[in-house]
Amino acid sequence: MNCEETTNLMDAYVDGELDPITSLQVERHLRECSKCEQVYEVDTAVAHVVSQAAPYYRAPTELRERIHSALRDAIGPSTIADSARENQLLASRTPPERRNVFSDLPWNRLALAAAILLAAIVASSLFPRMSAPTSDQFLAMQLIASHVRSLMANHLTDVASSDQHTVKPWLDVKLDFAAPVVDLSNQGFPLIGGRLDYLANHSVAALVYQRRKHFINLFVWPVESGTTRATKAVSRQGYHLLHWVDSDFNYWAVSDVSASDLQAFKEQFEGQLRTH
Amino acid sequence: MALPVEAEHASGNEDFDSPRKIVKFFVVKKAEHEHAQKAELASFEEVMLPHLDAAHNLAKWLVRSEQDAQDVVQEAYLRAFRSFAGFRGSNGRAWLLTIVRNTSYTLLKKNRAVDLTTTFDEEIHAMGHESVSPAIILEHAEDADLMKNAMDELPAEFREILVLRHQEDLSYKEIGDILKIPTGTVMSRLARARGKLKEYLTDRVSQEK
Repeated sequence: MNCEETTNLMDAYVDGELDPITSLQVERHLRECSKCEQVYEVDTAVAHVVSQAAPYYRAPTELRERIHSALRDAIGPSTIADSARENQLLASRTPPERRNVFSDLPWNRLALAAAILLAAIVASSLFPRMSAPTSDQFLAMQLIASHVRSLMANHLTDVASSDQHTVKPWLDVKLDFAAPVVDLSNQGFPLIGGRLDYLANHSVAALVYQRRKHFINLFVWPVESGTTRATKAVSRQGYHLLHWVDSDFNYWAVSDVSASDLQAFKEQFEGQLRTH
Repeated sequence: MALPVEAEHASGNEDFDSPRKIVKFFVVKKAEHEHAQKAELASFEEVMLPHLDAAHNLAKWLVRSEQDAQDVVQEAYLRAFRSFAGFRGSNGRAWLLTIVRNTSYTLLKKNRAVDLTTTFDEEIHAMGHESVSPAIILEHAEDADLMKNAMDELPAEFREILVLRHQEDLSYKEIGDILKIPTGTVMSRLARARGKLKEYLTDRVSQEK
C-alpha cells in the first residue's frame, strides 16, 4: 500500500471502519512511513478532541415534560375526530330505522349488514397494531411453518441434489438473485437440495441440509438497507432459529437440531462461503 | 360528544338489528381503541424517550437556537409517534435521529439557512497540515468553547456528521442510513469535516503564537 492509498483510507482507519485485512495493510504502511504516521497521529488527535471537547447538549427537564404532554394531547384530538366521523356515519344510517316503516324490508337488513361491515372496517383500521405480533415474531412463525410444511408434505426439495453446482443454477433461474450455495458434506452437513419458498413478501431460496437424522432449512434472501446486522438466535415450539446477515443476504436457519449444532452449521457455512 | 346519549338507549335492547346496537358496538370499540392508543403511547415513550438527549443534542447543533431546538425535538417526537407503527428496526436512536434531522432541515430551509452544504475546499487533504503536531491539537482537548466555535463555523452537513460519529458513536453504516448517503460518502464527508476542524485549530495555534 502506498502513501496515497493510505491517506484515502486514513479516516476509516482512525474510525475502525476498515475490514481486518485492509486495516492490517494500513498498519504495515504506517510502520514504514513516518510521514503517514504523522498524518495518522494528527487525525487521531482531531478525532479525540472532537469527542472530548465538543459540548453535548442534554435535554432540559422541562422539554421531557413538554413532549410527554404534547403526546398525550396528540391522542386526544384524533379521538374526537374519530367520534365525529362515527356520529356522521350513524346519522346517515339511523333515520330510516327510527321511522320503523321499512324495518321488515330485506334491503334494510342489507343496509344494516353494510353498516356493521363498515363499523368493522373502521374499527380494524383504527387499531391495526393491537393484537398484531411484532414483525420478527411473525417472521419466526412463518419460518417454522415453512420448515414444518417442507417436512410433512414430502416437499422438502424442488431440486434434489447434493451437488451445489446443480442446486445453484436451478435456483438462479427461478429467483431474481443469486443465492449462495455451498456443500458442507465434509463438515457433517450434507446438502440435500433446494426449494423455492415465499416469506416476508419475498421469493426466497430454501437450501436443505442434513444433520444426522435431522434437516436444516436455510432460508436466504437479499438484504435490505437498514437491516440490523445482529445475529439472532430464537427457540420456539421446540425449533431453533438462527439468523445472521452478511453484506448481501439475510439468512435464517431453522431446524430441530440443537442450538449449538445450528451455530456450528452457521460457522461452517460462512467459512465455506469465504473459501469460495 | 353525542355518543353516550345514544348508548344509554342501547342498554336493555338486545335486538341485533337495532341501530343502537351499532352505536354500542362503536362505544365499546372506541373504549378499546383509546386503551390501545394509551398502550401504544406507553410503549413509544419507553422506546424513544431514552434518546431525548441525543435528539436534543443533534437538533441544537443543527438549528443552534435553544428555543428552535426544543420545538424541533417536540415536533420530531410527534412525527415519530405518528409513524411508530412503521418502525421495524431495533435501532430506535438512529430512527429517531433521522426524524430529528429531517425536522431540523425543514426549519433550516424555512429560515433559508445558507450553510446547509459546502462545496469549497474539496482538497483539504492536499493542503498539508501535516506540519502541525498532534500535541498542539491535543492541548485543546478540554477547550469546549473553542470546539463549539470551531464546529459552529462549519456547514450543517459537517456539524451533523461530526455529532453522529463522535458524540453518538454511530457506525458509518448507521450514519449513512440516517443521512441517506452511501458509506463511502460518509467517510469522505467526515474526512472533509475533520480537515476543516484541523485547519481551524491550526490557525488558532498560529494566531496564539
